[in-house]
Amino acid sequence: MFQNLRQAMTWLHTWFGLALGFVLMVVFFFGALSVFDREIDRWAIPESRFAPQPMPSFDKVLKPVFESMQPSKESIERMKDRVNGPMPEHFDVVRRWGAYTTHRDPVLGVFASYVVPNAKNPDDGVFGSRTIDPRSGAALPDDQLKIGSRFFYPLHYSLNFHWMDLGYWIVGFAALMMLVALASGVVMHRKIFREFFTFRPKKSTQRSALDLHNMTGVVALPFHFFFAFTGLVIFAGIYFPVAHTQLDPLHELHEQVEAQETGLPHDRAGVAAPLASVDTMVAEAQRRWAAQGMAGDVGFLAVQHVGDANGYVSIYRAGTDRIALVGNGIHFKASTGEVLREDPPRTAVDGVNEFLTGLHLQHFRHWLLRWFYVLGGLSGCVCIATGFLFFVEKRKKQHAKAGSQGARVVDALAVTTVTGMLVAALGILIANRLLPQAVPAGWPPRGDLEQYAFWAAWLLAMAHAFWRSAPVAQGRLAPAWREQCWAIAVLGVAAVLLNWLTTGDHLLKTLAAGYWPVAGVDLFILTGAALAVLAARKLGRRAQAAPAPARLASEAAHA
Amino acid sequence: MRDALLLAAALAAAVLGMGWLALAMDAHWEQARGARPRTPAAVRLLRALGALGLAASLALCLAVDHASMAALVWVMALAAAALAVAGTLAWRPRWLGLIFP
Amino acid sequence: MTTAAISPSRQHVVLRIAAAVLGGYAFCWGFIALAMSGLFALGMSFHDAEHLSAMLAFVLYAAAFCWAFVVRSLARAWLVLAGGGALMAGAASLLQATLIG
Repeated sequence: MFQNLRQAMTWLHTWFGLALGFVLMVVFFFGALSVFDREIDRWAIPESRFAPQPMPSFDKVLKPVFESMQPSKESIERMKDRVNGPMPEHFDVVRRWGAYTTHRDPVLGVFASYVVPNAKNPDDGVFGSRTIDPRSGAALPDDQLKIGSRFFYPLHYSLNFHWMDLGYWIVGFAALMMLVALASGVVMHRKIFREFFTFRPKKSTQRSALDLHNMTGVVALPFHFFFAFTGLVIFAGIYFPVAHTQLDPLHELHEQVEAQETGLPHDRAGVAAPLASVDTMVAEAQRRWAAQGMAGDVGFLAVQHVGDANGYVSIYRAGTDRIALVGNGIHFKASTGEVLREDPPRTAVDGVNEFLTGLHLQHFRHWLLRWFYVLGGLSGCVCIATGFLFFVEKRKKQHAKAGSQGARVVDALAVTTVTGMLVAALGILIANRLLPQAVPAGWPPRGDLEQYAFWAAWLLAMAHAFWRSAPVAQGRLAPAWREQCWAIAVLGVAAVLLNWLTTGDHLLKTLAAGYWPVAGVDLFILTGAALAVLAARKLGRRAQAAPAPARLASEAAHA
Repeated sequence: MRDALLLAAALAAAVLGMGWLALAMDAHWEQARGARPRTPAAVRLLRALGALGLAASLALCLAVDHASMAALVWVMALAAAALAVAGTLAWRPRWLGLIFP
Repeated sequence: MTTAAISPSRQHVVLRIAAAVLGGYAFCWGFIALAMSGLFALGMSFHDAEHLSAMLAFVLYAAAFCWAFVVRSLARAWLVLAGGGALMAGAASLLQATLIG
């Protein structure tokens, strides 16, 4: 199809980079925001603006909460097609209880999975979850959307598009194309070392955009590669479900062997048994970790086969001080509290896998590294955005002469994906502050309304982008960019002001108190607004200075 | 506090290292120092200093964290440092000239 | 788009993309199946085999994707990718049968 390798790589980079760039912008931007997802949750749910808490007492706080839980309506709804016969009114047989926390969580998320009698697949189940204040066990209202961890974060790996899991596949393919774009970009870039530090902002838009595109791509290349790669590895089970399909017999064989080796029963015994003191088990786990020279907090706690003689409790150490995720699991017999198993040291392969996964999922405590991750993510966004700009600049004059709308369409889509995305992100934060605490009866839940605001704001931005991009078809700059930059500045300031007005937590107060989650979000928004103003003014000056031969020509024609 | 200071030093070492490596390149030397000439010995020295700066940065990162974490912090510090040097060259090139006699 | 004497037809481009996306997927599926069953047969733990195969497969997929556009013959691209994938998958099922039976 091509004369040589470089031609092939150039074509691939240009066209697949363009097409999947729109998806990758979303992935990189909301991925960057997800570094501080829990902090964004604090901003969105003022009741949770207190200090992070360690895992509370299971016996006193968590057990009553678990015992009062039931699966969610959505989960039951989704299960209806996978059952032979009626669904029970009440789910009494609990497969698993779980509680998970990190050093950044004031509130605690707990979940439970339940056995469904008559299920077509006996391993299938329904799920419930709840968010509680660990100091008291009180539940937070269910319809409070955690905008960071339950909206922005899933948006970055699934586009929140769950029909047939298509969102996961689109993001997965985009990640694969990121790898291809990096490789093809390196092949195309003839002066990768000579131009390592090259950025010439005073040259033509086309040259400046290409300089910045190359620089942000090369300088953060390890970051871009590892995030795309580890993202794919994390969801490998979705993309290549070999172990549950073609090699399922081998998988089953292994599960039985493993159950025998570890002493952790795969199935229930069918005999009832009480639950011993889990707090005692936690104390024992912490004693053992300290004895090995790695004292730590509990990161994850789970009870399997609840209420059954085969039940066991698994306690994992929080990975705050290393890259690999939770580890050093210790498993106890649920009815007696005796230690069934201490997880052995990891194999080399397992170690590499946990490192790669942990690198991406970031449960470690390291504020500088987290901000570096944000920088990397935003560099990726700049790389993609400048890619769009270069694509349009390179072609808009030719397209104008040929009367083609191609460059205009790409430019409008670029505005939608770059500035439009920021408008949407600010839109949901503003809706979060403007909506009443208790929505009127009959209305959709508050969290759903916030999400509608996000998508509506984005659609509006897209409509504006297409409407205000006509000059591109004449080879000139679209006013849409400048106008949306002004919108971002105004919306950003509005969001911060609304936080103050509706919660009383203004910047001077949060900074003085050292409450960084909220102060950080406010400062980040204001910095963005300031940059938007700078960009809008620069674009305004450029529009004034533009030679606009079309304008002169039309004036001459009217004279 | 100690950790914060060590990490700040690691970042500074990375910026200096990247800066020296940039100055070793003709185009950037000219941007930073104008038409002033330089000897091949100076170029070799700049490259050596650059490598030293980057190595010192790694050592400082290792003094703060577990090796797996330090490696990541260092790689990202290099990226941030490169961006800082490129930004300096783009908007205040003369400032880069200050890091070499 | 290219400087070839005859520009590739739209059909050719679509088939190339299909070879890269679908053929590449088939090839990687086969690779994972064979690597998993093979490593497990050689004594590696099942989950380790699963993880290692997946890690290698994604790099392989990126490479295969690029290769589909570089190889001269479209037919060869399909034969190697889809055909190779099917062969590896078949071998994996055979191996599984001997391990279970």
